[in-house]
Amino acid sequence: MDFFIQLFTDPVGFYNQHELLIAQIGINAILAIAIFVTFYSGQLTLANAGFMAIGAYTTVLMSLYLPTPLPLNMLGGALLAGFIGFLVGLPVLRLRGIFLAIATIGFVEALRLGVILNVPITGEGQGLKNPTADPLGGILPILISVPVLSYLVWRLTHTRLGQAWAAIREDELAASSNGINVPLYKMIAFIISAVVAGYAGALETHINFFVDPTEYGISRTIQILTFAVVGGTTNVVGPVVGAIFLTALPEIIRWASAYRDVVNGVILILVIIFRPQGIVGRGGLAVIAPRWWTRWRSRERPASAH
Amino acid sequence: MSGLLQLTNLKRSFGGVRAVDDVSLEIEEGTIFGLIGPNGAGKTTLVNLVTGYVRPQSGSIRLQNATGASELARRPPHAVAGLGVARTFQTLRLYRNLTAVENVLAGMHLRRRDDTLQQLVPIGPLLREDRRRVERARELLERVGLPPGAFGERRAATLSYGDQRRLEVARALALNPHLLILDEPAAGMNPAEKDRVRALIQQLNQDGLTVLLIDHDMRLVMGVCRHIAVLNFGRKIADGAPGAVSQDPAVIAAYLGTQAQKSATHVPGSEALDVAAARPSSSGEPASPLLEVRDLAVSYGAIQAVRGVSFGVAKGEIVALIGANGAGKSTILNTLSGVLRTHAGVARFGDLDLMTAAPDRIVRQGLVQVPEGREILARLTVRENLELGAWARRDSRAAHGEIERLMQQFPILGQRRDLPAGQLSGGEQQILAIARGLLARPKLLLLDEPSLGLAPQMVDTVFDVIQTIHNDGVTILLVEQNALRALEIADRAYVVETGRILLSGTGASLRRNPEVQKAYLGG
Repeated sequence: MDFFIQLFTDPVGFYNQHELLIAQIGINAILAIAIFVTFYSGQLTLANAGFMAIGAYTTVLMSLYLPTPLPLNMLGGALLAGFIGFLVGLPVLRLRGIFLAIATIGFVEALRLGVILNVPITGEGQGLKNPTADPLGGILPILISVPVLSYLVWRLTHTRLGQAWAAIREDELAASSNGINVPLYKMIAFIISAVVAGYAGALETHINFFVDPTEYGISRTIQILTFAVVGGTTNVVGPVVGAIFLTALPEIIRWASAYRDVVNGVILILVIIFRPQGIVGRGGLAVIAPRWWTRWRSRERPASAH
Repeated sequence: MSGLLQLTNLKRSFGGVRAVDDVSLEIEEGTIFGLIGPNGAGKTTLVNLVTGYVRPQSGSIRLQNATGASELARRPPHAVAGLGVARTFQTLRLYRNLTAVENVLAGMHLRRRDDTLQQLVPIGPLLREDRRRVERARELLERVGLPPGAFGERRAATLSYGDQRRLEVARALALNPHLLILDEPAAGMNPAEKDRVRALIQQLNQDGLTVLLIDHDMRLVMGVCRHIAVLNFGRKIADGAPGAVSQDPAVIAAYLGTQAQKSATHVPGSEALDVAAARPSSSGEPASPLLEVRDLAVSYGAIQAVRGVSFGVAKGEIVALIGANGAGKSTILNTLSGVLRTHAGVARFGDLDLMTAAPDRIVRQGLVQVPEGREILARLTVRENLELGAWARRDSRAAHGEIERLMQQFPILGQRRDLPAGQLSGGEQQILAIARGLLARPKLLLLDEPSLGLAPQMVDTVFDVIQTIHNDGVTILLVEQNALRALEIADRAYVVETGRILLSGTGASLRRNPEVQKAYLGG
C-alpha cells in the first residue's frame, strides 16, 4: 500500500526511490512492444531474448573497442539484431504457430549456449563489464522511448503495412488472395520486432554495469510472452500495460516476496481463465467479469422480459 | 472478344487421385463462364490452380490482359491477385475478427498507396485519403447488398452465413479485378437470396467484369452463364452453351446420377405437390417427448437470434426445422448440444437439463450433433476421424468393430480410410461427419444442414444415409435449407422465421402448404 500512497502523495520521492524499478519497467515495456509487433501479424515468436542479447553485446563491445559515440553503438546493436532477425527469419518464418515458437526458442538457446558462451570476445560465461554504464542518466532515454515507440507502433497498425498484418493474422490464405505478399510482410514484422528488442537490450546495458549471459535465456523470453498474454494483444497498449503491471508487481506485493513466483503464476492463470483476451481487450480497459457473474446477474431479471 | 484466360492440358493429382486431369478451356473476355460438376469433380482444385494456391504438375495457365499475356502457373497467390484475378472461397475465409468495412479495406491492399511513413504523422491529405477509402468500401458493401449503416461496423464472424458470402464478394471486388472467380457464392442460400446473387453477378458482368462461376445450383448456373464447362473425376466432359450442355447425355449421367428423375423434383419451385400423406403420425405435439424445448431464447449481444421457441421430438421421429438463412435454426441446435449457452427457456432431453449440462455429458447421454460445415479434422485420416468419434466410449473393441462396419456401409469412407479427411470432397466429408456422430451411439442425432453445398446426386446419397440411420432406430432432428427435400423424409416439421416458429405440421401437410413456400421464398 505504501507503494501507491507514495506514488500519489510524493511522486518525486517515489521516482527517486524507485528509479531502477522505473527503468526496468520501461525496458520491459519496450520488449512488450517488440513482441506485440509479431503477435499483431499472427506470429508466435519467442526470439526476443536473443535479439535483446545481440543488441546488448553489440553496444557494449562497440563501446569497448571502437571510438564511436554511445547513440551510434546503440543504433548498431539494434540494426545488427534486425539483420540477424532477417537471417533467422528466412528459414524460420515458413513455420506457423507452436512450431514457430519452438524454432525461435531454439534460436535463443543456440545463440546463448552456442555463441555467447563460446566466443572469447563476449567474456563467455563471465559476462562483460560495461564501462559506459550510467544508471541514472540511462533512465531518461528509456522514459522517452516507451511513449515514442508505442506511438510509432500504434500508427503502424493503421498503415497499409499494419492492415496487411491484421489480414495475415486473421487468415493467411485469404490475405494472399487479396494480393498481400504474406512472406514479405511476415518478414517485415519479424525484423521490426528484432530491431525493437535489440534496442531494448542496448538500453538495458546502459543502466547495468554488467552484461550477464544468463539474462537472455528462455525465462526472459517467457517473461516477455506473459506481458503480451496478460496485457492483451488487440492493440499496443495491452502489452505495455502488461509489462508495467507485471514488473511493478513484486514491489507492490513485497509482503509476499517469498511467494513472488506463485503470485505471478496465479495471476497468469486467472487472466487466462477469466480474461483470455488480456487486461486491455477489445474496446479498451476491461472490467474483469467472470462468466458465473454475468449468468447470476441475468438470472436476477425476470425471464419473460421481452 | 478474345480469350482472357486460357488453360492448356492442366494436370494435378493428389496421392494417386487425379483431381484435375488434362483440362483445357478458354474463358472469353466479358463473359460469365460456368464451371459445374458433381462433388469431387475437381472444380475447386482448378480454381486453386488458377489462383496459385496449388501448383500444376503440367500444363499452362495464360492470362491475357491490357499489358499482355502472362503465365500464371507457378506464380504465388498474391502475384496472381496482382494481375487482376480475384476469388472467393468455397469454405468462407473472412477476416473474422475484423469489421465488414475492415475486411473490404484489406481487400484494397493492392490499390492502396504504400503510406507507411506518412501515416506516422497523419495529417490532412492522408486523412482525406483514408476517408475516401472507407467511402469506397461502404459503396462496395452497398453494392453486394449489405447496407453499410447496418453491417459496416459488425465483426465478420457475427454476420449470418449468407451475409458472410456477400461480404466475401465485396472483398474480392475491392481488388478491382479483371476476372472474378466465385466458388459457390450461393451455397446455403434460399431461392430469394440466390436470385439476388444472380442479379449481382449479371450487374457486375454488365459493368465489364469477366466472371467464372462455380456452383451446384443448376438454375443459377444455367440462368446466368453464357458458356459452361462440366468436370467429372477431374476431366472435362462437356463444354458449350448452357442449352447444349444440359442436353448432353454424358452430363446428365455424371451430374444427376441414375436418380435424375428424383433429383429433378428437388429443385425448389418445380415441386409437384402430389406426395400422398401416408405417414401415420399425427400433426400434434408428441405426448412423451424425448426432447422437449419450451420458450427458448438466445441473443448475440443486441441481436435476438431465437425468440421464444417451443417444440418437441418423440422417440423414433424425424423432425425437421426449416427456414431461410439467419432464421436461427443452427443457433437452436447449438443451444441444445451445449455449445452455446443461454438462460431463457427450458430444454430437456429425457431427464437431462440441457440448459446446464456440460456438452460432454450431453453427448454421453446420447444427444449428438453433426455440425454445419462438417467440422471434420482435415489433417487426420478418415479412420482417425472415426476413431475420435468413438473416443468417449469405454468399449474400444466394440467401437473398432463398428468403425469397420461403418466403412463397409459407406464404401466412400472405406476406400479412403487412409487419406487425410481434408482431401475428401464436401459430400464425402458430410458422410464422414455423420458416421463420426453415429459412433457416439446417439439416441437423438442433430443434423445441421447436411446437404449444404452438395451436388444433387450427393444430396440423394446423404439423405439415403439419413433414412438408413433412422431405420436403425435413431431419432433425428434435422435442420435444412433444402426444405422440400427435408419435408419429404420428415414426420413433422417446424418452419422457423426470424427466430420464431411460424408453422408446424406433418412433413406431407407442410409440403402442400402454400404458406411454407411464402415463408421460405420470402415471397
